[in-house]
Formats: sequence, structure tokens, C-alpha cells
Amino acid sequence: TKNLTDLNQNSKKPATVVAPTLFANAELNITNAMTSTSVNVNIFRLLAQYWTETTYPDESQYDLSTRNIPQEFWHRLYRDVLNDLNEAKKVVNEDATLDAAVKKNQLAQIEIVTIYTYNVILNTFGNIPYTDAMDIDNLSPKYDDAKTVYLDLLARLDAANANLDPAAASFGNSDILYKGNVAGWKKMASSLKMRMWMVLADDEPAKAKAGIEQASPNAFTSAADNAVFQYSTVPPNTNPLWVDLVQSGRLDFVGANTLVDTMNALSDPRRPFFFGEAAGGGYKGGIYGTSNDYSAFSPVGDLLRKKDFPSIWIDYTEVEFLRAEAIERGMTGVAGTAATHYTNAVTASIISWGGTDAEAATYLAQPQVAYATATGGYKGKIGVQKWLALYNRGFEAWTEWRRLDFPKLVKPEEAQSEIPLRYPYPVSEQNLNQTNYDAAAKAIGGDVVTTKLFWDKF
Amino acid sequence: KVTGSDGAPIPFATVQIKGTNTGTTTDQDGNFKLNASGSDVVLVIRSVGYTSQDLKVGAGSQANAVLQTSNESLQEVVVTALGVQRKKNELPYSAQTVVGEDLVKARESNIANSLSGKVSGLEVRRNNSLGGSTNVVLRGNKSLSGNSQALFIVDGVPIDNSNTNTADQQSGRAGYDYGNAAADINPDDIESVNVLKGAAASALYGSRASNGVIMITTKKGRRGLGVTINSGVTIGKVDPSTFAKYQNKYGAGYGAYYASPDGYFNYQDVNGDGVADLIVPTTEDASHGAPFDPSLNVYGWYSFDPGNPFYGKARPWVAAANDPTKFFQTAVSTVNSIMIDGGGDQGYFKLGYTKNIDKGLLPNSSIKKDQINFGASYNITPKLTASGSINTTILSGLGRYGTGYDSKNLMTNMRQWWETNVDVLEQRDAYFRNKTNATWNQATVGATNPIYWDNPYWTRYENYENDSRTRYFGNVMLNYKITDWVDVMGRVSMDTYNAQQEERIAIGSIDPSEYSRYNRSFSEFNYDLMLNFHKKLSNDFNLGGILGGNVRRTHVTSIDAKTNGGLLIPRLYALLNTANPLEAPIESDSTEEVDGIFAAANLAYKEMLFLDVTARRDKSSTLPKENNTYYYPSVSLGFLFSKLIHNTPWLSYAKARANYAEVGASAPGLYTRNYYDVPTGIDGVPLASVNNTKYNPNLKPERTKSWEAGLEAAFLESRVGFDVTYYNTKSTNQIVKMPVSRATGYDYKVVNAGEIQNKGIEVSVYGTPVKTPSFSWTINANWSRNRNKVNSLPEGVQNLQLNPASMQGGISINAALGQPYGTIRGSNFVYNEKGEKLVDSKGHYEISATSNEVIGNVNPDWIGGITNTLKYKDLSLSFLVDMRQGGDVFSLDMYYGLATGIYPETAGTNDLGNPVRSPIANGGGIIVKGVTADGKPNTTRASATNYGIYGYRYNPAAAFVYDASYIKLREVSLTYSLPRGVVSRIHPIKGVDFSLIGRNLWIIHKNLPYADPEEGMSSGNVQGYQSGAYPTARTFGFNAKVRF
Repeated sequence: TKNLTDLNQNSKKPATVVAPTLFANAELNITNAMTSTSVNVNIFRLLAQYWTETTYPDESQYDLSTRNIPQEFWHRLYRDVLNDLNEAKKVVNEDATLDAAVKKNQLAQIEIVTIYTYNVILNTFGNIPYTDAMDIDNLSPKYDDAKTVYLDLLARLDAANANLDPAAASFGNSDILYKGNVAGWKKMASSLKMRMWMVLADDEPAKAKAGIEQASPNAFTSAADNAVFQYSTVPPNTNPLWVDLVQSGRLDFVGANTLVDTMNALSDPRRPFFFGEAAGGGYKGGIYGTSNDYSAFSPVGDLLRKKDFPSIWIDYTEVEFLRAEAIERGMTGVAGTAATHYTNAVTASIISWGGTDAEAATYLAQPQVAYATATGGYKGKIGVQKWLALYNRGFEAWTEWRRLDFPKLVKPEEAQSEIPLRYPYPVSEQNLNQTNYDAAAKAIGGDVVTTKLFWDKF
Repeated sequence: KVTGSDGAPIPFATVQIKGTNTGTTTDQDGNFKLNASGSDVVLVIRSVGYTSQDLKVGAGSQANAVLQTSNESLQEVVVTALGVQRKKNELPYSAQTVVGEDLVKARESNIANSLSGKVSGLEVRRNNSLGGSTNVVLRGNKSLSGNSQALFIVDGVPIDNSNTNTADQQSGRAGYDYGNAAADINPDDIESVNVLKGAAASALYGSRASNGVIMITTKKGRRGLGVTINSGVTIGKVDPSTFAKYQNKYGAGYGAYYASPDGYFNYQDVNGDGVADLIVPTTEDASHGAPFDPSLNVYGWYSFDPGNPFYGKARPWVAAANDPTKFFQTAVSTVNSIMIDGGGDQGYFKLGYTKNIDKGLLPNSSIKKDQINFGASYNITPKLTASGSINTTILSGLGRYGTGYDSKNLMTNMRQWWETNVDVLEQRDAYFRNKTNATWNQATVGATNPIYWDNPYWTRYENYENDSRTRYFGNVMLNYKITDWVDVMGRVSMDTYNAQQEERIAIGSIDPSEYSRYNRSFSEFNYDLMLNFHKKLSNDFNLGGILGGNVRRTHVTSIDAKTNGGLLIPRLYALLNTANPLEAPIESDSTEEVDGIFAAANLAYKEMLFLDVTARRDKSSTLPKENNTYYYPSVSLGFLFSKLIHNTPWLSYAKARANYAEVGASAPGLYTRNYYDVPTGIDGVPLASVNNTKYNPNLKPERTKSWEAGLEAAFLESRVGFDVTYYNTKSTNQIVKMPVSRATGYDYKVVNAGEIQNKGIEVSVYGTPVKTPSFSWTINANWSRNRNKVNSLPEGVQNLQLNPASMQGGISINAALGQPYGTIRGSNFVYNEKGEKLVDSKGHYEISATSNEVIGNVNPDWIGGITNTLKYKDLSLSFLVDMRQGGDVFSLDMYYGLATGIYPETAGTNDLGNPVRSPIANGGGIIVKGVTADGKPNTTRASATNYGIYGYRYNPAAAFVYDASYIKLREVSLTYSLPRGVVSRIHPIKGVDFSLIGRNLWIIHKNLPYADPEEGMSSGNVQGYQSGAYPTARTFGFNAKVRF
């Protein structure tokens, strides 16, 4: 007989693909993981107390285990994002026909999305597999110290940014974020750098100062620079919020009183964009972490129910808040005043949601909002307004809350734990990578939700 | 002529010229005719259930043989690997035969289910889904991640027994159980089943037989013409001990947070009188709401359902008159079959047709099977015989039960998320009134659309699946006798089917509307050439042997397509009815080929010592070129030592046997190369992704090494006997699709590593305590225990998770190093050093921080079955008690159902005699058993007012792990055969049997509340998990069999 082994081929799947397809898929998958509100994947909007649940308050009460939430999130980031990026890198490197400058740009962009993704994993769990990760020949990847990883990611980010050449092409339309605009990626890398260093500001103040001062002039200067992922109107690539809020027909979420009460007190002009009115008019939040009668409270706003509602990775608003905070922290190399950047941030947020300049001005004129008169120190002022501005970006809001300790969130009465400061490691790691899991749990001070991450000093 | 000791003719007996393959079978009247040349021919006369006999005849003479009946006869003829017939007392390995009659007695349409309790060492795990798959494992799970199920072989044709159930379905998430393919075998066509348990018995079959073989021999035609008609009907009723019981004290709700003064009801003016009315919170799929109170008048789903007699009206707040028990209908199953057979000097034929219709317990469910069996043999010349068979099964399924944690599994709804105030029969009327989704679970006050659950009748009549499978299997064979002692056989056999599965979700359902369609076509061809010889070497030595080759080629293709983002036109289920452009269908196409050559020799010394040696070499397409050839040797020795013991009339027979075998196993197809996935692009941007499994270009074959030793003996003229076997199997170098830390970027890696050991004891005992000419009582008992252990895992991995998708409830089924295959892991209670459960300051149990504690083991300690057969004249009563001791099951039904307050134990009274659900201030609440951190007994009363206290919210997964032991009265049959004297007067009828039958009549003992501990999701490696368990049907029936 002829070679039997030839029979053993899959004729229905490709054995080779080009790198842009892998890169686009990684962008899509990280965005989906960060945007979803499926209680199996992403409950950060609940942890930030933007929303609360109606009939089933389990996740609002910090039941992370029934639905294996940390596991699903971990799997999606390592398997569906990092592995495709890793593969894209390999394919680009092996492509001998690719123009050298394009190749460099592509590798740098792959690197930036990789760093972005690792940063999310790290800020969720603490110590994580990093140096041993993405190696199928090492089935027991050890966990690396979170801070070491963090500093390495920052070094890699600088290197990647330096390699970006706006004069050369890159992934073109397969780069859904910037559609091949390399200059956009440079600004995005600097903005990400600011965000990452600010997280270390309490742990490594001097290094953070240097990093932020270097990055600030190169970061976003207007909302036109924002890193935004544009969803499609065609399933399966619609915004996952549409799937969970509209297509499912379910009524799982209402605005949480924590957020709605705050906005009501400030007559926040973003309310009609964030929420619908409750029965009988006005904005009313469900009591966070209890069972709530859907019909009695404000539903999630119509804007967020659109199939192609875009998802933000990082935006000008956030960068302006970072600049304001940097100045307050004595990072003197950052230009301007804290008040101006704060005002810019709040204004940009209101406008980006559909409000007007006039509404922003009126809002900012209120003594509780105006930077000069608002209370709570810079952490309180920035913390509360940034929390409002980060609406719908639960993960960033949760991280900023852990870092700034504002707004003052209170755990619900029926909570199964304190407000989580991190996710426990996935069941799959407990079962499949046990020795390293045990070591990591010990190293961070226990695999529980109350263990503070290394940068969470207060 | 062949007759029994009672003088009745024995039809169907095999008559063979000794030392050759020339032979015939007897007709209905026991007559046979055989052309034999030469004088002093010795005929061997064999029939299943009788002791075989050698008969010396002269040329042209009449021959009469009187066969002695035997029970579990050691002289019995059995069919061994490759269809070779041998006397049981010559077998140097363990094999157990079940005659077809005993399998069909209870009229079970899936042959795999009929084997339960009848064979030692065979573990059958079935489920209650209509037409669901049955897991058949011999001597424990041998494969870490692959198939551990026994191979089915019908008349030499291997029958693919795979199921096509999805990973989600097998992990207890959404899906349907499409059954296993062995269900395509027609039970009425089975003559006998021989179970080859160990590798030595099955090594000649090569790799696929490494998990043991269920050899099925179908009926052959007899001399003369015979017609057998079978007609039966059975009905099934829910066994109440396997379904939920509902508390009747509290209705819809999760707690008191609604607008009404008591907090339990919505509160709006419905009737326009300006006063707010009480409205049932229809969104709340739990029964932790307001206490029932007939003096309250409330508006419910019925008040907002147009056309409902209670539309716009309020009704008293009381428990439903008809709880979900009423949802089940009577299952009805009919089997009608006709078998015609005949034969003469030149050959025989048989022709059968069976029609089987099973209507399930759920509305709108049925499985129909049409089976046609044809077989014939013709002696072209005295030396050349041609034979063949073809079997057709056309199966169509409608409304198979949804399984797992899903809205299409109504048991998930009724066992986990139910409102005790909802009357299912009113739901039925509401659906049929307008054929709308008139659900009890309305999304908001006044709305009629669903929020979490559809009207259950809508689910059954609108969101149903249908499927079909058309299968053909059979063979053609030529047998040529080269000399007296050598013959050659050539055979082509085929097994092929086309299956289609269509699933639908109607517009207006809770899930987005969808139509999906899956087509799979399977074909397998086996080409065999075999040389058979029997040679008497001397007076003391007899040698038999086989030399042969086999080529197997299997080709499977499938295509799976579904609509995208909803349907447009109601009730049109076609791919064109898609709201958005279709996503690319998922296609697969794989071919496997195995080329094997084999040889076997058996040497008998003085009919006392038997030595068998076999060897096979396979070359497989699914392994890399350099590793694709592997060998299977086996050696077996049998010692009939009773031949040495003379003058012991009480000892009829005794044999010791021992064997050793090594079996290789090839890889599943497409395991050696890596490919990419291509997800649907986004707005014209194409996407690609690395496949979640890393395949392996360096695979080597798996290896199973096993040895077995056994002793069998019979006493008192074979009135009593036993068969004991000990076995020890090690499967090494396993080809494992191993779940890996996702930090590698993958879900799975295909590796060669790991070892599982299975060892165990199998015991069969039989006896006839009473035997008189008119009355007899026979007992057959089987018992086996298997212990398995994962001895090693690949590359320092300590645990292998078996469930392919994550399981609801935060648990996993695992193969951990040093542990049995199939441990349940999950969150546990926290115990102090005295072993007492810790309770926290709020009065709730402490829950372990991690979910990797071992909280159960799915393997039973032992399994067993006892069949009693009582015969009085023409009346025969037989009953089988089937048992499983030990093994655990995790119940998601209890995990959720105890939280949502469905079950009576959530609505009882506490130590103070007050309702537990009353507020603590009013003397309610419960004190859970346990101790506080200081070791003192817990005295903190925890509130049971809102949902959760008994269920998942405040208890670890370990609280919902139950012992899965059971003792069941599995089968009962009472048969009356018309006496011979009567039959002889109603020519042409030759026999009439009437039977009353019952299956699963009584679960004598179990520890799992409200469900059958046997119930599972699918055949496969993930066992020990229940979500939305279906109740067991008690089946009663009547069957008439008439022979012409």
C-alpha cells in the first residue's frame, strides 16, 4: 500500500494562515472578554457596583465559584488571546518576504496587545505564569512574581513603542483598533504606559514618576486618539452586551444604587445615556447585592444595547485623569494643572457619552464636582469622577477602586466575602498545575479574594 | 434427528463433521441431513444450552442424538474471536455467554441495557433519556481520555458504538443525547451474546478490542420453514421515587423584596379599581416566596394570558393542583416482529422484520425503528459455501429529551427552578389554546414573553429536535474447504450509516431562535482472508489454527450548519431562514485504515490441557509512519484437571486457566498534525485562531498488558457451579488528549504517557436448588469488583480533568495521580482536627477556599446481579435483581433545588417547632450541625427566610454528593407456553408463548433522593453527575410469540 499516514490529514482546515488573521482574532477576543457581561465570564461591572442583579444576586454577592468565573476569564486570555498573538509573532518572524519595516511594526503591535493582556491577567490574579507561559512543552508553568512581571512588561512596552514606525504600513484593516494607523498605536502605547506606571505609583513612586513624565507628552491629546474597538452589526461579532442584554431576552441587571444615587446627587448629565428611567420616572438603582425587582429600577441604557456599540481599551478621558493624578503626586514633569486635566477629563467623558459642552460646564460648576471645592483629597475627587467616567469598563473601574480606594464601596449584607481585591486562581490551575499553584498561593499570601495585590498599598 | 432428554425436538442445533467445517443445522423438528463421505464419520452436535455430543455414524445411516440440557454448561458451545466456535471447556480465558432469549425476555429495545446485571465484570451505565446512550465498560476504564467502551461485533462485523454527543452535552450543559449506535442491533435477531472480557480472548481483533468484546451471533436459518411472530406492548409510568416531591406551603419568589406590604408580591392596580393588587412575581423561578394562603386573591400569569379562563381575574394563593409529576405521560412501546427462516441440503436463509415504536414519558417524543435482517448461506459445491447477511435499521427520533443544565431540559426547570404555584396542566391548556409560548415565567408584570423559562409544552412541541439514522451492515463470505483439515474464508463486511440531526428553537422562545442541522456519514469496510485448520496430530494431540489478514478502512464525514442570529419566518426550519448571513458550516472528513495480519494456534492434549497462542500485527494510518506498526501477542493455558480426578461423582467438571496478553492501540484519527480554526470574520476582516488542542507528530501506539487467572467448576451433575476470575490490567503509554494548564495557550495536548491499572475479581455462580420433572428453580448470580488507579500521568502532571467543558456547580471529574479514575473534586466543608464541620459566625458552614478537594469517587465498590428462574410445567417466572454498591454522584438538582425551596425539606419546622422559613425574630431559622472555630457546637441560628440556606449558596459542593448505590428489581417476566399437546392440535402452529414482563419495577434501595442513582448524561468518560435528571419509568408489558 502507499503511505498510510497520508490518510491522516484534515482536508477541512488550514495548516497555515497569515499573521493578520491571528492578530485580528486576538484583538477581538480580548475585547470580548473585557466587554462581556455574561456571569460566566465578566462580572467587573458588578464588582465596581455600576450594576446589580435582579433575581440571582450570586455574583453581586461575590460567589465566584459556582460558575467558575475566574477560570473562564483566565482561559479566554491565555488561550484565546495570548496564544494567537504568540502564533502571529511566530508567523511574522518566519515570513521572509515581509518588508522589514512592516515586520517591525507588526511585531511591535503584537507585543503591545500581549502586554495589555498580561497586564489584565496580572491585575486580576497577582502572580501568574509568565516566563514559562505559552510553551506547550512545559505543562507545569511556574508562576512568576507579579512585580517582576509588571516591570518586565513595562520594559517591553518601551521597546515596542520605540520600534513602531508611523511611516511604514502594518496590519492594515486587520488591525480593528486603528485600521493600520501606526501613529495611533504609538500614542496608545504611551497612554498604556501611563496607566501601568500609575498602578505602581504607591509601590515604586520614583520609577513611576519617571515613566509617567516620559509618556505623558506622547499620550492621547484628544478623544480622536482613543483606542476603540468597533463591533459589527452582524452576529457573531456584535458587542457581547447586545447578546446578553437584548438577544437573550433576560432581565438580569439594573443600575446599582451605589452609582445611580451618586449620579442623582450630582444631577449627572450622563444618566440618560447610562440608564433608562425607572417605572414612574426618574433614575433609581437597585440595592446593590440584594435581589431586585427589575421593573422597579433603572435598566441599562439603550446606547449599551446597540449591536455595534464600540468598546474602549483606553481613552483620552482616562489619560487626562492620569495626568491630573500625576501632578497631585508630584510628578512635576507632567504639564498643566491637576484641575485643568480633571476638567478636561470630565468634559471629555460627558461629550463622549452624548452630552454637550454646556452640560459639562454646568456639571463641573457644582461645588461637589468642581476640582477646587470637591472633597476627599485628590484620590477622592479623581476616584469618584473617574469611576463615573469609566462606566461600562468594569475592569478598569475595579482596578482604580482598588488603587485609589474611592468611591467608598460597601459590601452587601449577604456577601460571601469582603469585596474581592483579586480573583482566586481557576479550578483548572488547582487541578492541572497544582505544585505551582500551591507555591503561588503561598507566595501571594493565600489564594483568597482578600489578598491584596503587591501594588495595592492602602 | 436431534432431541432433548424430554423427547422434544431441538431445532437449530449445529451438526458438524468432526475435524472439519462441514455441517448443517437441524430444522424445526430437530431433523437434519448431511452428506458425509467415508465411513466412521463422527458428528459433533451442538446447541446453545445443551451439552454437545459426539456421534459416530456409518455411511447412509440414520443418526439420532439425545442432548442433555445444561445450565451454564461447561460443555456449551461458544463463539470466540473471529467467529470460531469452541467448546467452553476448552477455553483458556474468561468468556460469559448470555442466550438471546434471556436478553429479549424483558423487551428492552437497546441491547446494551439488557446486559445489565447479567455478566460479571461488565458495568452498564444507562440513562433515562428516550433512546439515550448507554456506557458499556468491561473491567474498568482503561483509557485516560479515549474510549473505554467494549467493542460490539455482530457476526464478525465490528459495529461502531460511538455517540456523537457534544462536549457540552457530556459535561452536563446543553444538548441532546443521540444514543449509541449499538442500539441499531435488533434484539430479536440475536441468537447469543458472548462477552470476551480480557485481552487474551480478544487480542486477535487488534486494537479496537482492547476494551473487550461483546460478540453477538445472530440467528441462522433452520431446516424446513419456520415463522416466528412476536408482538408486544409495554407501558411505562414514572417511578415516583425517582422524581421530585414538592413542598406545598410556599409559592413563587426568592424572598420579600417586592412592592406589596409583605414584600412577596408585585403591587399594582390590575383591575382598575384604584387599589393596588397582589401580583405573583412571575419572574421568580423559585418557591421561596409568600406562604400559601387561600384568603389572598392574587393575579398570576393566567391573569395576563389572553384567552385564559382566568384572564384578568385573581385567584386564591394556593399550591398548584397539578405539580410537574403530571407533566409526564405514559410511555408506550410496541414491538412487532416476524422472522421467517428455512433451509435444506444446500443452505438456509432467514428474513426478519421488526418494527419498534417507543413513545417517551415526555409529550411529543418518540423513537421509531424499522429493522430488516436478511441472511443466507448456500452450498455451491460440497466444498464451497457462499453466505451473506444484510441488516438495515432505519431509526427516526423525534423530541429527544434535552439534557444537562439548559432551558430545553425541562427537568432542570422542574427540579431546580420551579414555582410550586404553577399548575402544569393549565400550562398545557394555555399552550394549546393559541399555540403560543404562554409561559408562567413572564418577564414583567403584564407581559407575556418569557424571562428564563418557556412554557414547558412550548418547549416540547415547538423547540423539538428530530433525527434519523439509516444504517446498513452486513457481509458476504465465501468458504472453501481445501482439504479435510484446512479451509479458507474470504469475507467483506460493511457497516455504514447516514445520520441527520435537526434542532430548532422557535421564534418567541427564551433562547434566540435558531435552526441547526448536522449530517454525518460513516462507513467502515473490513476485508478478511482467513485460513482455518484442524488437525489431529496423534491420539493425544489436537491442533487447530488460524492464519489471516484484515484490512479495515473507516471514513467519516460530517457537516454542521446553523442559522445566524435568529430566524425570520416563524416555524420555517431551513437554513435559508436566517436573520443574518450564515456562518460557515463546520465540516470534517477523516479516513482511517488499519492493515493487520494474525495467526493463532491452539493445541489440545488429551482434551485436558489447552494451549492457545495468538499473535497479530497491525499497521495503522493514524500513527506516524515510523511508529505505525505494533504487535499483540497472547498466550493462554487451560487445564481441565477434573479429568485427573476420578471416582468423584459429585464433581462434574473443574478447570483452571491462566493467560497473558498484550494489546496495542492506535490513535484516534487526525491526532498527528496541527491545524488552525477559522472563526467567522468581522465586517470583512478574516480571522484565524490556533486550535485549542496541540497534536503530536511523534505518537506511539498505546499498550495494554494484562493477565488473568480463573477457576471454574461444576458439581452434582452440573446442578451447581461457579466461575471465578482475577485479572490485572495495566494500560501504558496512553494516547491522551490531556487537558493542560491554559497558561500553555492550549486546552489539550496529545501525549503518550500515563498508566492506569485495573484489577478485579469476577464471580459467577449458578445452581438449580430444585429440579423435578415439573418444577425447577435456577439461580444465576454475577458479582464483580474492579479497582482502578491512575499510576502515572504525563510529564509531572498530577491530575487530569475529564470533563471537556466546565461543569456547573464548580465541580470536576478527574483522573488524579494515585487515585481511582473518576474522582469528583469541588469545594468541601472545612473540618477541624476532630473531623467536625466548621460553622462561621453567621451560622453557615465554612466552605473550603479551593475547589480541588476530592469529594467523591464515581467508581462502585462492586456490582452484581441475581437472576432467579422458576419453571412449573409450562409456566416460567424469571426475575433479575441488579445491584451497585458504592460510587458517588453529584446532584446539581439538589444543589439548586434545595436553594430555591422546591423540596419538602426546605419547608419544614425547626428544633423549636416553628416553620424554618419564619424570620428568626419569630422563632424561625435553622441551626446547622457543626462546631464553631473554638470547637463548641454551633448555636447560631441562620435565617431560612430568603432562598439558599439548604442549597448551593451556603453549602459546599460536597454537600450535594450522594452515594449512588442501588438495588433494583430490574426485570421480571412470567411466560406461559401453550402445552405441547395443545399446540399439536392447532396445526400449523408449533408453539405459542405469552409473557407478562416488567422492567425497572422497584428500586429496592437507594440513597439519592428524588432521582435514580443510575441516571447520567451520556455514555463516555464523564460519569457521576446529574443535572436535570429524568425519572425512571416502571415498565409493564405483554408479549405474545407464535411459532409456525
